[in-house]
Amino acid sequence: MARYGMVIDLDKCTGCRACMVACKVENNTPQGHFWMYVFRFEEGEYPNTRTWFMPRPCMHCDNAPCVKVCPVGARYKRLDGLTATDFDRCIGCRYCEVACPYGVNYFNWKKPEGNYYLDWDDPDLAEIVGDEKVVYANPDLDKAYGPEKRRIAGGGQAKGVMEKCTFCVHRLEKGLQPACAAICPTQAIKFGDLDDPESEVSQLLREKPHFRLLEEAGTSPRVFYIGQHAPNPSVRQIEEITVKV
Amino acid sequence: MAVQTQKLPYGIGRISGGWLLALLVALVFTVFGGYAYAQQLIYGEVVTGMRDIGTMAGAPWGLYIAFVVYFEGVSFAGIAVAALIRLLDLDHLKPIARMAQVMTVIALILGGLGVIADVGKPGRAFINLLKYARPGSPFFGTLTIAILGFLFGALVYLYLDGRRDAALLAKVPGKFQGFYRWWAAGYQDTPEARERHERASFWLALAIIPLLVVAHSTLGFVFGLQVGRPGWFGTLQAPGFLAMAGVSGLGHLIVLAAILRKVYGLEEQIDIAVFRWLSNLLLIFTAVYVYFMVVEWLTSVYSANTAEAQLLNALLRGEYAWIFWLSVVSLLIPLVLLIGQFATGKYRIGWLVFSGVLVNVAAIGKRFLVVVPSQTHGSLMPYVIGSYSPTWVEIGVVLGLMGLGALLFMLFAKVFPIMEVEEV
Amino acid sequence: MRKTLSLSMVVLGFALQAISYFALAAPLGTPTSPAYADPRLPFAPLLFIVGVALVFLAAVVYELMPDKNAK
Repeated sequence: MARYGMVIDLDKCTGCRACMVACKVENNTPQGHFWMYVFRFEEGEYPNTRTWFMPRPCMHCDNAPCVKVCPVGARYKRLDGLTATDFDRCIGCRYCEVACPYGVNYFNWKKPEGNYYLDWDDPDLAEIVGDEKVVYANPDLDKAYGPEKRRIAGGGQAKGVMEKCTFCVHRLEKGLQPACAAICPTQAIKFGDLDDPESEVSQLLREKPHFRLLEEAGTSPRVFYIGQHAPNPSVRQIEEITVKV
Repeated sequence: MAVQTQKLPYGIGRISGGWLLALLVALVFTVFGGYAYAQQLIYGEVVTGMRDIGTMAGAPWGLYIAFVVYFEGVSFAGIAVAALIRLLDLDHLKPIARMAQVMTVIALILGGLGVIADVGKPGRAFINLLKYARPGSPFFGTLTIAILGFLFGALVYLYLDGRRDAALLAKVPGKFQGFYRWWAAGYQDTPEARERHERASFWLALAIIPLLVVAHSTLGFVFGLQVGRPGWFGTLQAPGFLAMAGVSGLGHLIVLAAILRKVYGLEEQIDIAVFRWLSNLLLIFTAVYVYFMVVEWLTSVYSANTAEAQLLNALLRGEYAWIFWLSVVSLLIPLVLLIGQFATGKYRIGWLVFSGVLVNVAAIGKRFLVVVPSQTHGSLMPYVIGSYSPTWVEIGVVLGLMGLGALLFMLFAKVFPIMEVEEV
Repeated sequence: MRKTLSLSMVVLGFALQAISYFALAAPLGTPTSPAYADPRLPFAPLLFIVGVALVFLAAVVYELMPDKNAK
């Protein structure tokens, strides 16, 4: 069985954030939720500064703190290496979120309906959607996946449950790449089977030095970075964005 | 008939103006809490101040979890004192055993309700926790042992200890007679029955002490096992929780005993010896907790990594400094007062109540500081530093829980003697 | 009789706790597969709580059991 992983080439990433947009469109994530987020970093002191970018999906850790603490087994490890969230079982205690050192979890603080980047009061839009403030969602997102048959795909599924990056499980099961990897214009995001020595990701990891985020936390992430270096305390974010729900 | 005018002890069934007023206040708080919670149910937890860690720069655990931990802590001392009274044969402390047990039961109920207030899917949580709860999650212990098991144990203890009183009260005609008869369940005040109860309560008390240690340690593990949150990961978390539980619970018990002493005029039963004992026990727990606090503080001041240092800075000088120093002062003043009373041998109830209130302020502050800053200021990733401030909904729900606690206690006191009865 | 019954309740209660914790609930250890998410027997955690309750109920049984030779 394939054991999926992601390799992100930070030397290729231009910080265009197309992956963030692709993720939102593909997974229907509500306003304020960024399953994929791209850090824009600045480093050094003036005038010797430089900028670089770092996409941050869920790390799909092999020793995932979120899976360990989930009281009801809603967050679980699939055999293909994905860390999945069963939104039908989640009770919304948010323990996974406080246990995760990467900050990739997003809780549905309010009803997802009407919580998208749209001006629902716009007369033109109101004409199309009527009273239903529901945006189009891929029907694949509601299906059950894997041998364990659990609904784990898509965002904005219900109020009061936790959601996060799924590695686009609904696309993987069709043999497609995750939306972020598929759209990346510089092909900085590579996705594939880490158990297959011939896969592109395996070859990349053999050829180039790589690192994983917060290796010292012992989480063994399945997302690898090549190029640049792990962010350290001297690295600053260019923008001070705090998104609102 | 002469029998019918016979009064039940400790004002049972008699409603005074003061009691009614207090009940009304508690009721107002409870209803307000209910209203606030209804808002949360309708609109979702967006009405709280909690937000996601990371790009939202918030704290997904806030006031609710801090108070769940606080209520659980308060529950600790009640049953611990009741069990110690039994195990060590502290007969002169018997008068406070019942109120200690009731305090434990009510605090546990409030803790459980706090969890329900916190989760996003409260209805589903009930079923899923009983159906799927994983022993691998620290929440397993919190749910099964700290809340449900402990609550059940405390109820059994309260029930068995109350049987003799119930049997006595059942002899007096009145509207609760049936209830007392049910509670007494055929209790005959024979030497055998007494001895049987002595033996049963001894074993119960013996069983409850380790359960208590386990329960509060699991609560500490909820935080202490998380390597991803600076300020949480540590071996001192579990024993620290235990010590703090003792501090807040004993403080509560002292205040409660003093109030009841005043209201019922129990100067003879709850004498200064009772307070001396409680005071000395509180002194031990406060000293242990302060010691833990200093050890923890020194360790992180001396050698903190970047994330820990940032967190410490927020605690000592930053956003949370006022809560931190308020808590420290609220611990040190009672410590000084308690040591002073111990050294001079002169115990003043006024000072003790003052200490009891202060240590609870410190307890709430310290619980908040354990839960929140590690989320807003403890990110290992280069996110923006977060912030958290509770909204009126969260404050309303917490006040509602406190009101509910007072309400339950007052209702219990009108139905059942809050102290062991000698004779009717 | 009184002693035997309450003692066996205590033993049974602790046994139930141990069995449901180690054998019936979700497996312990680092979760690496979906098997770690589900209890091996649904409602095993409820059984654990029943075990805890059984131990405490033993005390109630011990006290409340009517005497055989009384009246």
